[in-house]
Amino acid sequence: MVRDIRAFDDSRAAAVFLAPTLAVLVLFLYYPSFETFRLSLYETLLLGQQTTFVGLDNFVTLATSPEYHNSLFVSFAFAAVVVVGSLTIALFVAYQLYRVDKWRSIYLVAAIWPYALPPAVAATVLLFLLHPNLGVITHYIELIPGVEFDWFTNGPLAFGVLAVVAIWKQLGYNIVFLLAALHNVPESLAETSRLDGVGSLTMLREVYVPLISPTLGFLVVMDTIYAFFATFPLVDLMTSGGPNGATNLLIFKLYRDAFEFNSLGLASAESIVLFGIVSILMLAQLKLTGEYAHYGA
Amino acid sequence: MTAIELDSVTKRFEDVTAVDGISLAVEPGEFLVLVGPSGCGKSTTLRMIAGLETVSDGSLEIGGERVNGVEPKDRDVAMVFQNYALFPHMTAERNMTFGADAARDISESELSKRAAEVAEMLGIEDLLDRKPAALSGGERQRVAIGRALVREPSVFLMDEPLSNLDAKLRIQMRTELASLHRRLQTTTVYVTHDQTEAMTLGDRVAVMNDGHAEQVAPPQELYDRPATRFVAEFIGEPAMNVFPVEVHGDSVVHDTGLEVPVSADEMAAQDGIDAADLGVRPEDIGIAPLDDAPAGTCTATAEVTVTEPLGDSLLVHCRLGDETVQVSTTPRATFEPGERVALTVDADRSHLFDRETGEAVYHAPKTAVGSSEDRTQRADAVAPGAGGEEIQ
Repeated sequence: MVRDIRAFDDSRAAAVFLAPTLAVLVLFLYYPSFETFRLSLYETLLLGQQTTFVGLDNFVTLATSPEYHNSLFVSFAFAAVVVVGSLTIALFVAYQLYRVDKWRSIYLVAAIWPYALPPAVAATVLLFLLHPNLGVITHYIELIPGVEFDWFTNGPLAFGVLAVVAIWKQLGYNIVFLLAALHNVPESLAETSRLDGVGSLTMLREVYVPLISPTLGFLVVMDTIYAFFATFPLVDLMTSGGPNGATNLLIFKLYRDAFEFNSLGLASAESIVLFGIVSILMLAQLKLTGEYAHYGA
Repeated sequence: MTAIELDSVTKRFEDVTAVDGISLAVEPGEFLVLVGPSGCGKSTTLRMIAGLETVSDGSLEIGGERVNGVEPKDRDVAMVFQNYALFPHMTAERNMTFGADAARDISESELSKRAAEVAEMLGIEDLLDRKPAALSGGERQRVAIGRALVREPSVFLMDEPLSNLDAKLRIQMRTELASLHRRLQTTTVYVTHDQTEAMTLGDRVAVMNDGHAEQVAPPQELYDRPATRFVAEFIGEPAMNVFPVEVHGDSVVHDTGLEVPVSADEMAAQDGIDAADLGVRPEDIGIAPLDDAPAGTCTATAEVTVTEPLGDSLLVHCRLGDETVQVSTTPRATFEPGERVALTVDADRSHLFDRETGEAVYHAPKTAVGSSEDRTQRADAVAPGAGGEEIQ
């Protein structure tokens, strides 16, 4: 006799198994999301203990705030620099690691260890290394005649330093993925090109980049999320959004509005706008990746 | 001047010796096939010729120049890989021109002209705009061959190029490759593990085993006069039967009493041999029911164990003493498992191999390639009234 055996036929058992995951999701994701959306329609005092319904006033405030416009501009510029910078450098480093024969593991560890550092530790260490008055690296940079490396007061310089640190921190993540993708490209393609005498940069541009484009697409998405959300500790510990708002990224601004200026309603509105921006960027990037990335023969 | 010359070439990967002092000379325009079982070093030898592997020891020359340390691109060779090695994101045409375009000073118009000519030669003119994913296995292999042709190299290297194709397509491509080589006359070194491919394509075939060449010879010579027991068993399908015998002057005797005469003159040269391995191909053994057994030597009684109808012949597995012997007979013969039969060895087609070294110590006179007997038989086959049909 053949018994009809179906996995998880018992819906009650399925519910029990799913309950812990659902509970965590509801408690830490859906409920806070809903609360954020609700709070964005209120003006709040004392960390949300007193609330007044104001409709879309918080969004109107954001749309008319020059400070917020600056933050938007800084965040987009920062994301563009970090995504392009970290991917370009990581691609070059990963390609060299892929081609090198000796001591590959040592080079690999050297290339990816910044990713293993907690962001707060990395930011603190780099703050000291790059400190305008005390930094060892600053000392050597300022040996160049005419160069003053005072990024505590120079806005564009602070933006540059923060971008370099953010790129450096993200390199390891990108390198690991890119190296894995490069190793998936059949070796015979490189061999046939060696026989033809195709140069290594031509190979990278015409063969490897198209063939690892799905991974590149994935990394563009992940690096964008990183640049918009995960660079908060770097800003917080190194520049506090300054000088003159030059590094006041959206994620840092909304944190200050919420917890320094006690404007939970306004910060919630900023969260929703930020969420919307990143979501639209993700959709656009995924669509582009789907259209242009090469997913194998 | 030889096109390619390997002199005691060795390749070691740490403590593993993949190729062990191989020496080969490939003549200009020749089609040389390297054949052997997996791991025998044939692909490594080819890759050393290409420059994709370094040579650990020995000398490698292409066109009379030593190329041991020369970059692959400077050897003027093109290679066709087993997995085609096509760029999946490029069209067939771009695949064919990419290497030549990226690395050489060839004008775009010249390159397009060459690609068009090669595509016409290979019958892929209509596929040039397609990417590899939209091509069948045979079409991909044609594009891969086309890429090598566009380069116009002095040497073609082919590493099992037909292995990924199905049986029917493989036979078709095999014929096309042979005809292409006949037309272009480019020196070609071809690696395969398929002995049929080796026999049908090669002007000469190098049978490799354990990192060295056992024998390098034209296909028919390999079949008729194998230099070693390994070659005898590797070349030919079904494989040659080999079983131990004692040497008694002008005959060899098996445990079962089977006695096969050998040329006393030739055996005299093999001083002191009293035991050897007798090799006989399945088609050189006659099989008959016991009642019809011919009298005399060369005959022994055996028991049928399995029969395999192959369409054009019947392969009968027999138990002869402790040995299993394969006999190829006429397709409609009827033998049943368990039946006692008489096996008759054709003494004129027998071989003896040294039991220790495996080297051939004796080939029966009629195994000589192009022997007068062979020519007479061919003439008889077409002579009117001689049992053959007259060719009009």
